[in-house]
Amino acid sequence: MNNSITNKNRLVLDPVVLTGLLKRYSNQLEIKKWDMGASSSNDISVQVQQGNAKQIKGSQRNSITLRVWNKNNQVGITSTSDLTSEGINKAMIGAIKASLYGNANESPEFSPLAKKELEQINSEISESHTIDELLSILSIAEKQLIDTHQSIDSVPYNGLNESYMERIYINSDGATRHMKLSQSSIYLYAKAEEENKKPRSAGGIRINSNLEELDIQSCIKETSEKLISHLNYKAIETKKYLICFTPEAFLQLISAFSSMFNARSIIDGLSLMNEDSIGNQISVSNLNISDEGLHPENIGAFSFDGEGTPTQNIKLVSKGILRNLLHSEATARRFGVKPTGHAGLGAKVSVSPDWLVISKSESEMDKDESLSVIDTQKEYILIDELSAIHSGVKASQGSFSLPFDGWIVNTGKKTSIEAATVAGDILKVLKSIVKIENKQFVTHQGISPHVWVENVSITGEA
Amino acid sequence: MTNSLLTKTNENLLFHTFDETLKPQIEELLSLGRSAGADLVEIFLEKSDNISLLAEQDDISNVSPSLGIGAGIRVFLGKKDGFVSTNDLSKPGLLFALNQALGMLGLVTGSKNIDKFEGLLDLNDFGSNKNNWLDHSPDLDESTVKLLEATKSLANKNSNLQVRRASYSRSWQEVIVAASDGVFARDIRLHQTVGINVIAQQDKNRSTSARRYGTSGNPDDLRNWNIEKSASDLNESAQKMLYAGYVEAGQMPVVLANKFGGVIFHEACGHLLETTQLERGTSPFNESINKQIAHKAVSAVDEGLSNYAFGSLSMDDEGMEPQNTVLIENGILKKFLSDRAGFLRTGHPRTGSGRRQNFSFAAASRMRNTYIKQGDYTPEELIRSVDNGLYCKSMGGGSVGPTGQFNFSVEEGYLIKNGKLDSPVKGATLIGEAKEILPRISMCANDLDLAAGFCGSVSGSVNVTVGQPHIKVDSITVGGR
Repeated sequence: MNNSITNKNRLVLDPVVLTGLLKRYSNQLEIKKWDMGASSSNDISVQVQQGNAKQIKGSQRNSITLRVWNKNNQVGITSTSDLTSEGINKAMIGAIKASLYGNANESPEFSPLAKKELEQINSEISESHTIDELLSILSIAEKQLIDTHQSIDSVPYNGLNESYMERIYINSDGATRHMKLSQSSIYLYAKAEEENKKPRSAGGIRINSNLEELDIQSCIKETSEKLISHLNYKAIETKKYLICFTPEAFLQLISAFSSMFNARSIIDGLSLMNEDSIGNQISVSNLNISDEGLHPENIGAFSFDGEGTPTQNIKLVSKGILRNLLHSEATARRFGVKPTGHAGLGAKVSVSPDWLVISKSESEMDKDESLSVIDTQKEYILIDELSAIHSGVKASQGSFSLPFDGWIVNTGKKTSIEAATVAGDILKVLKSIVKIENKQFVTHQGISPHVWVENVSITGEA
Repeated sequence: MTNSLLTKTNENLLFHTFDETLKPQIEELLSLGRSAGADLVEIFLEKSDNISLLAEQDDISNVSPSLGIGAGIRVFLGKKDGFVSTNDLSKPGLLFALNQALGMLGLVTGSKNIDKFEGLLDLNDFGSNKNNWLDHSPDLDESTVKLLEATKSLANKNSNLQVRRASYSRSWQEVIVAASDGVFARDIRLHQTVGINVIAQQDKNRSTSARRYGTSGNPDDLRNWNIEKSASDLNESAQKMLYAGYVEAGQMPVVLANKFGGVIFHEACGHLLETTQLERGTSPFNESINKQIAHKAVSAVDEGLSNYAFGSLSMDDEGMEPQNTVLIENGILKKFLSDRAGFLRTGHPRTGSGRRQNFSFAAASRMRNTYIKQGDYTPEELIRSVDNGLYCKSMGGGSVGPTGQFNFSVEEGYLIKNGKLDSPVKGATLIGEAKEILPRISMCANDLDLAAGFCGSVSGSVNVTVGQPHIKVDSITVGGR
């Protein structure tokens, strides 16, 4: 079998055809102002079980979101995956109907940056692989992982994926954006069980723009080491601990509270910050947080957002002070700044971060310079991964209560924690940071060093 | 006939009418798949017409209609399967998808001459009396008026409700399922949800509260929404939690309220009874049929039949009528939830539980309306039986790990002291492991009620109902501060 995942005979989205069609229908329906975001993906994923193919999935998907302005400057949208001429016409009629309910006082406009030159992002499209090749790679990875330790009996959740995506933005003012990218990813989630002990599990994930450079061996190594380290576990006492967040865990926590930096959430009253918070000290003075969609390690980067605004790197927190927010066109207009390239596309436009980068401000001191994940002798909890973020975070209140995977570390000896949750208030956590390590790590969701926080509540089962 | 943007020159085969007339085209695809050597080929066709609306304070802030078409083609060979989804419903698009699915299993169309496909049965049309559902659902005028009525009602409750939001979502789906074993079925599904949420703020204190209601197959759902009752309930919760202190962490007995309290059973146990979990070897109940896995007070079912319940369906996404599946009877495990692939790989008979979010997912065994059956106690008797513990009146979301460990947050909680409800508390999380907690559900009250929710898993997000009467868990870890 030699089935490539791409169909060479099938072209996906064509911006010229789409523009022509939209012009024709907008003229027929007397719509003077419109824009459209389109996306397309073509991907394949394989799963294996004990060396055999379990399920293989493929998909070819296209969708567009049309946005129109009516004569009263009310905005309406409709999304559709029916990309026939009839489907697109139907969507435009739907958007016109929806516009009658648009809030004329808060209508979005075209981004003033929708025609600005884009940053060059390396978007070399990788060669696709056959299903046999993907299955073979994943089966070998599964076997290698199981062979690393006698207690590892299976890799119940696994997958190797190859995707090709493209995104288009077009508006009636002549803006046209079009970008393609490719992505490969692997995830391995293994289970181990020893006699008279509970089953334990751990996982790893890697993403790259092409399969050849996907670091599968480090994913196997990380998953295996984590899982083996969790085999001997114990319950811990409920009390306040010194905590060290791994880069992954700290990024998870900051991402969960990214509404602090989100101008849309601030306007809607859903953020811990308000319109006057710029310039306020929100953390210890050696913490920097930026959003860097253009960072070369951000594999899934697109060079423009849903409104066609170029993707930009934005310093959010500098030396602990809130400096900037993430904006769409509408929120930027309200705050008197320029859009930052973090918008979706809608009648009410959403805003979200791309790629968070946490760093230490070199000019500021840590409260406890002695701490280091390599050789600290104090007792502390190393939090590796947070769970249930969708249910355990109250972003508008700042509170969180989250289960986690991690270890209790005493005089350098790591012991897995049976089950525990960490609870607190994000603003208090940011002001209780006692050490930000110098070394940053690239993860699949951003970049961060290890971050130490004192006096954090942990609930154990002892 | 219209032109596909994606296939400019080829023959088109756009399925804009889902009925018996599709039979020849579908049979051609199924026949090609079978003649290539597949054990079974299944085609799922879908059209969708959805709307979501949002009102914030006194304005409609978002109206988002979305339309969709798509197909999912699944091919089985032995215990393996290949699945391809596409929204290119042109003939070349579907043929490409079929060939790709066959190719995943090493099969090629035209390579074998034996056509073992005997054709589709007559269309089993579960949607014949539902054709007017979409037209009978509230239009944008009616829906927006209702939402603004809701936010206004909240404004009248208390001036400290600084954020008032009401949302409405209508999901309409028309599907055809056809398989080379002859299954040929059509259905129309209509799901509607309304949600309201608020942020109350007084000085430096803030509380958030939310409620969601949902039904299936009831076009009048939004029209019949008792806004005043919902707004009063939500405001009462927000005001009580405004000055709530944080709960102190520890092990304690817990009384869980009815309705959405059932999320504990859904997360802690229900997922582990899906054959999807058995296939992976991650369910601790794999070898537990006819064994005691829960306290004898616990009997639980999963069914897709209750009128208007959010998880009800006339047929599952593999064309099978849903069953009333008794999962646990007096603490003894009786049955697993199974789909086509689950039966193939584990031997557990199908239960009409093959479900998927849409055409882009292969069906998997999933819950429908899942609940613990009611017992003989009153809710007050449960609370009276606790000296020091927690009453969980309203639950937030939760999740279950791959080996059965679960957690979920308590949205509105109260301490129980000496058998009586005491002060409100926030920040509580219930943590445990299914195998350990089920034997500790020692009392079930007589007030079973259901609540709508969305469940995310291997085949996407599906509509479900969770439910239970008030129940008492003798001891559970409560995360707090």
